[in-house]
Amino acid sequence: MVRVKSRYLLCEITVSDRSQLLQLDDRAVATAVRAAVARTHGDYGAAQCVIGFSVKYLNAHTGIVFLRFPKRCYRLLWSALPFITCIETRGHKIPCVLNCLHVGGTIRTCQKFLIKYNTQQLHQMLPKCKNDEEKQQVRKAILTCSLPGSNRKESEEDFESEEDEEE
Amino acid sequence: MKKMSAAKVKIKERKMRNQPSSVQFPSRENNPRNGGDTPVTGGSGSNAPSDIQQSTERQTKPQHRGGWVRGHQKDGGSYAKEIPKYISGGGFAMARAAEVRAMLKAVNKTTASCHVFEALPKHMRRRAMSHNIKRLPRRLRDTANRLREKSLQAGSKKKEQTKAKGKSRKARRRHGNLLLEFNRRQRKNVWLETHIWHAKRFHMVKKWGYCLGDRPTCKCYRPCYRAMSTHCLLQDLSYYCCIELQGEEEKLLAALSQLTSKQAGPTFAAALCLSGQRQGSVVVYRAGQYPSQVLGPVTFIWKPCTHGSTHRQLWIWAHPSIKQDLLPELQSVCQCCEAVVPPVVPVVTPAEVTPTTEPELKPEKAPKPAQSHRTKRKRSCKDACEPPAKKILGDGTRSHSTPVTWRSSSTGIVINDLTMEIVRYRLIGPQSHTVLAETLEAATDCNALDKSQPSPLWWPEHCKDESKMNLHKQQADIFNILKDIYSTGELPAGTVLGLAVDDPRLTLPSKKVKALPCVKQTEEVDEEKRRELMLRGVPKNCCQSFLWEQSVRDNVTDNKISEQELNRMRSEVLVPGSRLSPTPLQGRVPVLLVHQPGKQVGHEMSSWGAGWDLLLPKGWGMAFWVPLVYRGVRVGGLNMSLKHSQNKGTPHFPHDYPDCPAGVRFQEEQETELLDNFKRRPPAKRTNYVKHGCLAPFCCPWQQLAEEWELITMEEREERKSESQTETTTHTDTVMEQEMTSQPNIGETKPQSFFTVLRNRKSLKLLSGWCRPTTSKGQRFCRIGQVPLPDSSAVRLFLTEHRMSVVWVRLSLLSKGKPELHAMVCVPLTEDLKLLSNKSDCSGPQEPLHKNHFKTRAKHKKKGSNKTAAASSLSPEKTEAEGSAEPNLPVAAKDPKSSSESSTGLIFGLWPDPLPSVTSHCSRVTLGWVTQGDFSLSAGCGEALGFVSVAGLLSTILSQPTEYRGIVLLRNPTSLHYRLAKINIEV
Repeated sequence: MVRVKSRYLLCEITVSDRSQLLQLDDRAVATAVRAAVARTHGDYGAAQCVIGFSVKYLNAHTGIVFLRFPKRCYRLLWSALPFITCIETRGHKIPCVLNCLHVGGTIRTCQKFLIKYNTQQLHQMLPKCKNDEEKQQVRKAILTCSLPGSNRKESEEDFESEEDEEE
Repeated sequence: MKKMSAAKVKIKERKMRNQPSSVQFPSRENNPRNGGDTPVTGGSGSNAPSDIQQSTERQTKPQHRGGWVRGHQKDGGSYAKEIPKYISGGGFAMARAAEVRAMLKAVNKTTASCHVFEALPKHMRRRAMSHNIKRLPRRLRDTANRLREKSLQAGSKKKEQTKAKGKSRKARRRHGNLLLEFNRRQRKNVWLETHIWHAKRFHMVKKWGYCLGDRPTCKCYRPCYRAMSTHCLLQDLSYYCCIELQGEEEKLLAALSQLTSKQAGPTFAAALCLSGQRQGSVVVYRAGQYPSQVLGPVTFIWKPCTHGSTHRQLWIWAHPSIKQDLLPELQSVCQCCEAVVPPVVPVVTPAEVTPTTEPELKPEKAPKPAQSHRTKRKRSCKDACEPPAKKILGDGTRSHSTPVTWRSSSTGIVINDLTMEIVRYRLIGPQSHTVLAETLEAATDCNALDKSQPSPLWWPEHCKDESKMNLHKQQADIFNILKDIYSTGELPAGTVLGLAVDDPRLTLPSKKVKALPCVKQTEEVDEEKRRELMLRGVPKNCCQSFLWEQSVRDNVTDNKISEQELNRMRSEVLVPGSRLSPTPLQGRVPVLLVHQPGKQVGHEMSSWGAGWDLLLPKGWGMAFWVPLVYRGVRVGGLNMSLKHSQNKGTPHFPHDYPDCPAGVRFQEEQETELLDNFKRRPPAKRTNYVKHGCLAPFCCPWQQLAEEWELITMEEREERKSESQTETTTHTDTVMEQEMTSQPNIGETKPQSFFTVLRNRKSLKLLSGWCRPTTSKGQRFCRIGQVPLPDSSAVRLFLTEHRMSVVWVRLSLLSKGKPELHAMVCVPLTEDLKLLSNKSDCSGPQEPLHKNHFKTRAKHKKKGSNKTAAASSLSPEKTEAEGSAEPNLPVAAKDPKSSSESSTGLIFGLWPDPLPSVTSHCSRVTLGWVTQGDFSLSAGCGEALGFVSVAGLLSTILSQPTEYRGIVLLRNPTSLHYRLAKINIEV
C-alpha cells in the first residue's frame, strides 16, 4: 500500500528518582531526542529529525514513550538515543536513560506489545512485594488489567454517540 | 472553508477517541498563566497541586481534549492530584494497570470506522455478508445486527415519509392479487383479451383509450411483410367498435342514407350487402353534409333477413377514434335519444357485468375437492379485499350505469353499443383460409343422450332443431371447400360465412406448426363447388350465424371452460396427448368469418393482402388466439396495419383522413410528438428546416394549400381571359367565368370554406385517366387508362366542382430514393423533365439552400433589449427576403414583422407560426405532401402516398407534354434533393 511509513519506538525512560519522572512532558522528550541526534549526527541528523519525528505518547507515571521516526532513517536516529543522559524540563535536568523495548511498524503493534509487557511486569512484581497492602494493590491492578465485559457496553455507547454526532 | 475544517476536526476527533493520549502534568498552560517562568517544581510549590487540580477539573468537561487520560481520572485520582514525594509499589502497579487498560482499549477498537466488515481481513470479506448476517463470523454478528437494525430504522423512517412498503413479489404474483392488479390497471385504458400475450411480446402504446401492441419487440419487419404476402399475418382488431342497429329495413336505410352519398361509391343499401352476403364499407359524413364534414370510414354487415320479416339487424364497425362522433350522429339520424339504462332491459348486459349466477349455470363436472378448494381461495381473497377479483371481459373503463342502448319511440330503431362485446381477429395473407381451416373445425353434433334432456347450453338446444342442423351442415360443407382454394384473394370481396365451431383448444397441436395448403387434387364435384364459391361467394342462407344473437353470445361467454378445467380433463385422458372425446358440450362457439378484400385499386398486385376477419363472442379471445398462433402465423401490431394499407394503396385511418375530426386530432398529436422529438436535440444538431425551405415538416397545412391553389388558378384564369377576350365561349362557360371572376371578392368576405378530400367516384376516375396511369415503377403505361388530354372547358367544369379539394394519390419514384413522412410533392420545371430523357443521370434537381432570416433575429433578441435597434435591424432583412425573389413577395415581406412579435415561440430550425405562402416558397411549386412514405417491398421502389391539391394537379397536367404527363418531384423535408416520381390516382 502507498503510505508514509514510519517506525515506532517504544521506549522506557529510566530515572534514578522516580518522582522526577512525573515532571516530564512530551516536548521536553522531543527536544532531548533532537539535541542528542544533532550532537551525534550533526546537521544531517537534525534535518532528518525535522520531518516525521514526533513523540506520540508519553506516560509520566510509567515513563513509557512512543517515538515516531521515519522508516528510512530510524536506525540512524535510534543510534542517537543512548546518548541521552538527561532531559531538561521545567527548569530541571532529569538524568535519565532511554531504554528501547520494542520497535514496531504501527502504533498498534507497540500498544499490543506494551500490554503484554506491562502485564508481565505486574506479574513479576507480585511475588516481590514486601507487605500485604502492596500485594493487595498489585493484585487489584492485575485484575483491572483487562476490559472485562465492558466491550459491548462501550461499543453501544459509541454507536449512540455516533448517532448524536450524525444528527 | 470553515465548515470543511470543522468536519475534518470532527473526523480526527472520532478517529483519535480511543487512542490514549499522553499522561503528563499540564505545565505549558500553567506557565503563562502564572505569569513568569517560575518553575512549578514538584515538591516546593504549594500552589502547584491546586493548579493541577484546577486544570484537571477544567479538562473533565471537554472530553476530547488532550492531557489526562480519562481512565486515569476515574480511578487514579489519588496520585494525580500532586506530584508525590515517594513512590509506592501499589501506585506503580496501578499506573501500569491504567496504562494497560488504555492500550487495550486502543488496540481493541478500530480507529478508522466502526463498520463491522472492515474488521474482517480482506480475503474473508464476502459481498453477501451485507445481506445475510449469518455469513459473518460469529464474533461480529452482534455488532452487525445492531448496525443493521439501526439502518433499517433509518430506512423505515424515510419510507414512512414517502410510501409504505409494497407486498412481496410472491404475494403480488398470487392469482387473486394479480387479477386485482390487472383490473386496477384496466380501469383507465381498455385491455384487449390478448393484452397479456401482447404485452410480453410487443411495444405497447396507449391509444384511443386502449392498450395496443404497436410493433413486436423482435426484429421482424420483413418476416411480417412476407407473412402478409405469402402466408398469414394475424392481428387483434378487437378495439374496433361495433355499433348495432336494429329496426325496420326501410327506416334504417332512410336514416343511414343521410350519412352517405352514392357519389362516393356503394352505400349501406348496396344489394349484396343488404342481403347479408357481403360486408360493405363506406365513408360516413355528417347527416346531409356530403362532401364536407366527413366522419370517417366504417365497415358494416347486415344480418341476413329471416323469411318475410322486415326487422333487420346491422353491425357498423368503426375505428374507436370516430366512435365519439359517429354515435351521436347515428342517434340524431335515427332519432334515438332515449337511453335505456342497462338494468331495465335484461337483454342487454353491460360489458363489465357477468351474471352472478355463473356457478349455478356451470355444469357440475368439476370434482368436488378441486372446486371447494377454489371457492375457498376465492373467498379468502374476497375477505382480504373488497371488490371480488373477477376477470374483466369487455370494456373495463365503462361504469355500470353508462347506457349502451338507445331506443327511438318514433322510428322504433334500437342502437346498441357493442364495443368490446365481440372479438375481432384479422388474418391477412393468401394462406389465411388454410390457417382458419386447420384451426377451426365445424362443430360436432352432440349425442342422442344430450339431445334428449334439456340443457342450459345453446348447442344441445340447437341440435334438437332439424332446420338449424341442416343449415349447420351446409355451412360446414362450405367451410370444408375453403381448404381447397388456392388463395384467399380468389374469393369475392367481403364474403361472409357464419359457422359454429368446436373449441379450438381441443385440437391444439403440441408444437407450433406452419399451416400449409393441402396440395391433393380434389375431385370433380369439389371443383364444381369451388368454382361456385369463388364466383358467387357463400350462398345467402349460409351467412346466418348465431353470433348475432345476444343470448347465445352471453351463453357461450358464460359457459366457457376455463383453461385449468380443460387441462384437468386432458390429464384424465387415458392416452396422454390424445384428443378429448367426447367434446365437452360447452365447447361450441358461433363465429362469423368475414372476408377482407385485398388491394382493389390499381392494376397490379390485385387482391394483395386479402384475408379473413374472425368474429368471436367475448371471453373466447385467448382460446382462439393461441391455436391460431400455433399454426405458424406472424402477429402484427398497429405498425403492420399501417404498412398493410400502405401496400394496398388505401388511406389508413386516422393517418390519412386529414379532413375528418379524428384525423385532425391525430395530426395534432403527431405534430406535438414530432416537435418534441425535434426539440430534444440541441439546436446545432437539428435539421434546419428553414434552410431546407421546408415550411411544415411536422404538420401539413392542407387548408392553406387548398386556398393558395384556388387563388393561383383564379389568377391564371383571369390572365387567360384577358388574353382570349374575343374568343367565343359557350353560354355556360361565360356564366362560369363570371362566377370565377366574382369569386375573389366573395372569397375575402365570405366565411372560410374548408378543404375536402375528393371521394367522388366519377371525378376520381376522370382524374385518374388524365394522369396517364402507369405501372408502379412507371415503366409501362396501362392501356385501359389511355385518355386524351382533357380540353379546357372540361377541366374548368371539374375545377368549379372541386376547387377546394385535395386528392389521394400514389407516387412511385422513378429512380432511387425513399420518401419520408411529410415529403413535398412539387411541380417539375421543363428542364427537370429534360433530365428524365437522358437516362444517364436521372437523379433530379437540387433545391438551393435557403437563408435563415431568423438566426440574425434571434441574435438580436439576445443582444438588445433596445427595441429601436431591433426594429432598424429588421429592415435589411426585409430587403433580403425580397431579394430572394419568390413570387410570394407580399407574404414574405409581411412575415418578418408578424413573426417578430411572436418570436417568443421561436424554435431554432423551424418557421415561426404564420407561414409564408406554402406553394411558392421553394424553387418548385408545391402541390401537396406525403402522409405515408417508405420503400415498398411489394413494388421494389420507393413509394409514397399522400394528398395533392386537385387544382394544382390539373394545372400541372395540362402544362406538361403528353409523354411526361403525371411526372412530379418529391423532396424529403430533411434533404435538398428532388426526386422524380410518377403520380397515380387509383380508383
